[in-house]
Amino acid sequence: MSVMALYRRIHQFFFPSLTPKFLIRALLVALFAYLFFGHICIPLRIRGYSMEPTYHNGGVNFLWKLCYTFSKPKRYDVVAVRFAGNRVMLLKRVVALEGERVEFRSGRLFVDGKEVEEPYVRYPCNWNLPPRQVEKDCIYVVGDNRGMPIEDHHFGQTSMKRILGMPLW
Amino acid sequence: MVKIKYLIIAIIAVGIGVLAAFTLLQSEERRVKKQFSLLSEWASKDPGENVLTMAHKTQRMGTLFAEKFELKTEIDLMSGSYTPEEISSLAARGRLMFSNLSLKFYDFDTSFPEKGIAKVILTARLKGKSTAGEYVDETHELECILKKTEKRWLFSYVEMVQVLKK
Repeated sequence: MSVMALYRRIHQFFFPSLTPKFLIRALLVALFAYLFFGHICIPLRIRGYSMEPTYHNGGVNFLWKLCYTFSKPKRYDVVAVRFAGNRVMLLKRVVALEGERVEFRSGRLFVDGKEVEEPYVRYPCNWNLPPRQVEKDCIYVVGDNRGMPIEDHHFGQTSMKRILGMPLW
Repeated sequence: MVKIKYLIIAIIAVGIGVLAAFTLLQSEERRVKKQFSLLSEWASKDPGENVLTMAHKTQRMGTLFAEKFELKTEIDLMSGSYTPEEISSLAARGRLMFSNLSLKFYDFDTSFPEKGIAKVILTARLKGKSTAGEYVDETHELECILKKTEKRWLFSYVEMVQVLKK
């Protein structure tokens, strides 16, 4: 390829001629990007420390909204809970499902009276929470960072309607 | 020929009716939104705000609320019924604790379940710095009910939506 032809290709790439074909292509790409990144795979920025060490403050991820189209969240899934509007959500881990009894004893999680292994919890914890039953159409979510006092940590049961999806990684 | 003429007139009349209803509803929605923008303006505080401005803002804030306003939050101490005067004095006391404060509302979802009643679900973000130097950045979903009294929409109920129940 001659230098002139290469120059022409580069020029065409950065300054394309506004032909109808090009405009339709650009419009389709923009529409696809809007639908995909606006409604299916939403970029998100993590703020806060409640999911440390699994997710770090300032990290970037994508919210995959199609994951619960044909299934329900399972125990240990990390889910995004709609907190306010469409832009503020909480990243939490599902620890108990509808109808189960959940409690904390000296930092250890018990579901229906049986201790649940939590390999993702790395920081020492001394939480105590009396047993409570997860209501209908709800799931119980907790952050992985149990190093903070129980009063300062946002956790508890939430409606399934508020589950938006899960992070891509 | 006559039939077609009547049909066209009927279509135009229906069109005007739909347009008028839509415009009216839009303007009511705008009026409701305006109350939130006033609340945001009067609740917010710039650094170095003088006492006169503060008094003026808190006084006017009370005028946005109905005679019997009810607040429901996770904090039991704050929940309860308030009069506009109580709101003004509460706002004055609250603002004194901050050197700067900003209250903003987003994601408006407005509906009119009954005539003279507006239900708004929105996101409220309170950001500021306390006089002790502590930064505050709180976001919550609110469910608000406004009632129309003499052409003005007044806040009558605000509930902080509980997303996670321990």
